[in-house]
Amino acid sequence: MGDSGRQIGIVQSLASLMRGWGTLLLMSGFAGAGLTLWLGLLWAPSVSIDAFEAPVAQKIFYWHVPSAWAAMIAFTLLFIGSLAWFFKRREWGWNLHVASAEASLAFGMMAVWSGCIWGAAEWGVPWDWTDVRLNTFALLTLLAIFLVLGRKSQPDGIETRDTFATFGIYGFILVPLTYFATRFWQIRHPGPVIATSEGSLNSDMGMVLAIGAISFTMLVLGHIICGIRLTKMESRLLDIQDTIDKEGI
Amino acid sequence: MEDTIYLAVAYIGMLTGLAIWTWTVLSRSNNLEARLAAVEASLNNSEE
Repeated sequence: MGDSGRQIGIVQSLASLMRGWGTLLLMSGFAGAGLTLWLGLLWAPSVSIDAFEAPVAQKIFYWHVPSAWAAMIAFTLLFIGSLAWFFKRREWGWNLHVASAEASLAFGMMAVWSGCIWGAAEWGVPWDWTDVRLNTFALLTLLAIFLVLGRKSQPDGIETRDTFATFGIYGFILVPLTYFATRFWQIRHPGPVIATSEGSLNSDMGMVLAIGAISFTMLVLGHIICGIRLTKMESRLLDIQDTIDKEGI
Repeated sequence: MEDTIYLAVAYIGMLTGLAIWTWTVLSRSNNLEARLAAVEASLNNSEE
């Protein structure tokens, strides 16, 4: 077997490995997300009725926090992919950018939507335009919408990729800003309850939240791995179509 | 009780949304794989 044959063999093995791992992570993550919701609804203890206006609605926390966590992972991978494409012209960087932008959008929307449901029950309004955490996270999700829709509406090319990669790089500044927002400017969004000395999370609640965080991490990684594979296949199909057009086969 | 039903509906709605998105990704992947295999097969045939 020649060098090119060996390379094709390696690429095919990697593709099938990605497919297997991607699907496994997706399925396990999805099962874990279902288990988290079931435990959150029926097993996890309720919060004190004195501390919250809507104690039952607080249980949406088991969906909201893991989805926001998964969105942050996706935004970080989007940043890494954008850097790898913009500075090193790595094809894997662009594939990672595309897959992470889609995952960022989906998980960002889940966090925003679940937050609005909780806000409506607890605060009486679904959104607070003066809260820094809410608005920086919404800007991140809007950035993901722009990247996903923008890429779909533009022909693929170096200029297009550079433009979107630049947004992926500069937009990342919102990730640490969102993370630290409730530490510096706590307005309406609750402050941190884990990884802080002020946290007061019950151990059972912490366990359900940990199952949720692990499951959503698996889900987001599964989606990104499958997304990378999809982007690769789309590029391959476009290349073949170009070859057919040029050679008039 | 009404609050729990509200929460359960929200949970089921979100889980359904996640399931639809996951299914869409897997289905797009299978569809593209089939198209790619067909195009590559037809290219090989035309080269022979």
